[in-house]
Amino acid sequence: MAIDRKKIIQNMSKIEILGNEEGLIPGFNVFVTQLPASFWNGFAERLTRQVGSELLESAEWLLVNAAHECGYHTGYGIITSEEWKAVVAPMIENAPEDILHGAFAVFTAWGWANSEIVELIPNEKMVVRAYNYYESDVVGYGKSTKPSAYMIRGVSAAFMDLGYGGEYDKTGKTGLRTFSCEQTKGIECGDGYGEFVVTKSNH
Amino acid sequence: MAIIKKTEIVLDHKFDPRSCRHTINGELHVLHCHHYATLYTRLADDCGMLDGKKLLVDVAEDCFYELLTKYYAAHNIESIDDRFSIAEQYYAAAGLGQMEVLCAGTESGEVKLLHSHLDEGWINKWEKRDTPVNFMTCGYIAAIFSAAFDRPTRTFSVLEKESIISGAEHSLFDIVAK
Repeated sequence: MAIDRKKIIQNMSKIEILGNEEGLIPGFNVFVTQLPASFWNGFAERLTRQVGSELLESAEWLLVNAAHECGYHTGYGIITSEEWKAVVAPMIENAPEDILHGAFAVFTAWGWANSEIVELIPNEKMVVRAYNYYESDVVGYGKSTKPSAYMIRGVSAAFMDLGYGGEYDKTGKTGLRTFSCEQTKGIECGDGYGEFVVTKSNH
Repeated sequence: MAIIKKTEIVLDHKFDPRSCRHTINGELHVLHCHHYATLYTRLADDCGMLDGKKLLVDVAEDCFYELLTKYYAAHNIESIDDRFSIAEQYYAAAGLGQMEVLCAGTESGEVKLLHSHLDEGWINKWEKRDTPVNFMTCGYIAAIFSAAFDRPTRTFSVLEKESIISGAEHSLFDIVAK
């Protein structure tokens, strides 16, 4: 593999993002915010802890879906950005697999999760491990029975959509949700790392 | 004409290569796009399971109240003017939009948004709509009023009475003590 993960993290982590004179951050074909992680965690955790067991799966699906759409559109913006072209693109020999490895290095550099692909079967399956991620901060003591990394689930599936789901579709009607992701381990659940298994969607 | 010198916000951004986390003023911050923010908002708006709108307002109020009160304490920001100015600057720096506190007291106030990540992101993703969606900003405004006047959270209620999302030139919020 030609992807130099360390170099990508070193370069891309230097990003400094601030709102423009209108208080907006346009970039990567989207508008971006830079907010405390506790805001996103707070909403997801209070929601999933209050909906009750019968509705938990639906609430979780909606949270994962938010990240799935975010990962698909922003992910596409990232892999077509000038920053990507300058740092990551020269390392790509084998697409889309190298693009996926590069994308997780950027995902790490920008602070979403210190994560990498540990298994990749092209167009079939991807296993991601996250060694440090903000969504695990919902547990400060003990172990949770409920995994909480909805954002990583959604984004991991979205990256596989971008890799193998066909041409990027701005409307999200065709390329999106061709893959789905389950969280099989979590730091918040007492495991040493979070583990995420992405496979083709059933529908 | 008097020249008013604005206290500028200090944003100390650090990246920890060991944890791969970004902090601003010691607080963990993450980037997300308008798809994420608008889908969270839509989830709160459509939520039949519980009062999702109130949940989002409360989470925003708690989160930003803590952030701002810590900042004011750390930087000795004591005047009301400076506190609102810092809150407006943080809102813009975070990419949430351009906010102007028009007036504020311990009983009431008015806040205007000239630009809004949520409203403009929503229109970009879907389309305009008649009812407001900026629950996150309602929570933010409740937080900045409580933090400015040294009151606890849930002291103020915030009503969005004009919205960019509905075609207004700017969004307008009424604040009143509960």
